[in-house]
Amino acid sequence: MNFEFDNNLPIYIQLVEQLKMYIISGRIKPGERLPSVRDLALQSKVNPNTMQKALTELEDVGLIYTERTNGKFVTIDKKLIEKYKKEYAKELSDRYFLSMNNIGYNNKEAIEYLEKLGGDN
Amino acid sequence: MELLECINLEKSFGNKKILKNINLKIPRGKIIGLLGKNGTGKSTLIKIINDLLTPTSGKVLVNGKEIGVESKKIISYLPERTYLDKSMTVDKVINYFEEFYDNFDSKKARKLLKDLGLDTTQKLSKMSKGMQEKVQLVLVMSRKADLYILDEPLGGVDPATRDYILDTILSNFNEGASVIISTHLISDVERILDEVIFIDKGKIILTSDSDELRKKENGSIDEIFRRMFKC
Amino acid sequence: MLKKLLKYDLINIYKFLIIFYSLAIFFGILTRIFFSIENSFILNIIGQICSGAAISMMFSILINNFMRLWVRFKQNLYGDESYLTHTLPIEKKTLYLSKIITAIITLFTSVLVVALTLFIAYYSKDSIELIKGMLLPLANAYNNKVIIILFLLLFVLYLQFMNMLQCGLIGIILGHKKNNTKTLYSVLFGFGVYLVSQTIILIIIFLMALFNKDIMNLMYTNEMISLSSTKLIVYISIIIYTVILFIEYIIGIKLLNKGVNVD
Repeated sequence: MNFEFDNNLPIYIQLVEQLKMYIISGRIKPGERLPSVRDLALQSKVNPNTMQKALTELEDVGLIYTERTNGKFVTIDKKLIEKYKKEYAKELSDRYFLSMNNIGYNNKEAIEYLEKLGGDN
Repeated sequence: MELLECINLEKSFGNKKILKNINLKIPRGKIIGLLGKNGTGKSTLIKIINDLLTPTSGKVLVNGKEIGVESKKIISYLPERTYLDKSMTVDKVINYFEEFYDNFDSKKARKLLKDLGLDTTQKLSKMSKGMQEKVQLVLVMSRKADLYILDEPLGGVDPATRDYILDTILSNFNEGASVIISTHLISDVERILDEVIFIDKGKIILTSDSDELRKKENGSIDEIFRRMFKC
Repeated sequence: MLKKLLKYDLINIYKFLIIFYSLAIFFGILTRIFFSIENSFILNIIGQICSGAAISMMFSILINNFMRLWVRFKQNLYGDESYLTHTLPIEKKTLYLSKIITAIITLFTSVLVVALTLFIAYYSKDSIELIKGMLLPLANAYNNKVIIILFLLLFVLYLQFMNMLQCGLIGIILGHKKNNTKTLYSVLFGFGVYLVSQTIILIIIFLMALFNKDIMNLMYTNEMISLSSTKLIVYISIIIYTVILFIEYIIGIKLLNKGVNVD
């Protein structure tokens, strides 16, 4: 796994976001076992406590779960993953529309523009 | 009981007050940044904790006890300077640490030094200063200590070495232990810090959880620090 | 822990001394060889040169022994190395004790090597007779053999060496309390402590003189020392030195326990 950070934002929030991305994009598969907190912290070069905090947050929203002796796993609840994926897609789209609105496109025009782009490719 | 506690700590050299009324509690299991510009008292504070300086007033408690043999057993300290007998070979230095520190893991030290590609039969005096500093870091991190105190571990090193040092710290500190990193190079270390302590002109200006501080002040620790201590 | 410290302290001192030990004995043997060949002017000259070298080596042994002990103390407790020394889980009194035992052992071997070199280079019936002649009256006074008197005197000298050494150590501690960067303070304090210790010894002997006519005579006249008073002074100086060494030892530990302020 590869992580990039911006020192201006709380590290653990960035960790949560990036781990979420790994899960919803399927780069970590449902039911896959995660490396230990310490290993994950090492890979991402952050403090193990911060990594722990991020994982706890992901656990709270149900994206990962802990088996007492075996460690942490990505949820097998594909619906839940799908839900977060859609949420994220919505967020991206909203952002797209917002930016397009800012430069004078209305939503319809923005969609048409995208279609045109899609057609070109 | 706190791992480390400073109570009304003061230190003067002659008429000059270097530390003013320092009150500090260091909990277990945290990586803490002691952040301040050069010459603001960071090293003085650290040297008092390590019995290299005597406080003018106030006291330092480690696990509730004053500094002494017991505190030295559980604190692993990396000073700013090279402190090993340079006429010794690396092998001899490893033996030395093994003899005097019960919690020194010589296997780990040897492995880390091997990873560095270091010939342990070499005398320290034959090595570059940078290499000597790495050897010291490895020795310090190979102790299963309760508290690691690292004084300016990143002073004047290139980015590759900086990564090596941070990696070595992160991957080797004893689980459940705390690490105090004193530095003025904040942006290089801020990512690994749980908590930050700002020190300026011998006084503690701020202590905070680092992520909370980022949220509250809307910026990186480095930026917040610069804002607070504009020259 | 003391054993481990001692090991490193002793190695540090002997690493240097061993060179001077070998040179002294080497020149001692040469002196012997060249002097034993008679009727050769050239060889006799060479013998003289070797003799000079042996003697200077003997002085070097003692001077270097002192200097190494002081330098080691300074480097180990106040130099860069002190960052390691003072963070070892060892009490300060153990650190000090190790230095003292190192001094006791190394100065003892140094005195032995000097004696051995003298023996190798100059032992002969004549020289022994000379010493015997000098010490015989004394030996008679003690009802003892000359050799024992010789050892007693050597022992007093050795105690005096230990006294000088410890004064130096205390001087270093005091000097660093005053100022970390100027070695001059250590030298001055060391010298001061030495003067104080010698003054105390003189005062004690003077006090004793008030009760002992022979000793009083020794102080006010140029008469030959009477045998009985010499005997007394040798014994008493051994006792006084031992007590003073012990007091200095306690002071050294007390001072160190107050903590160091390393630069």
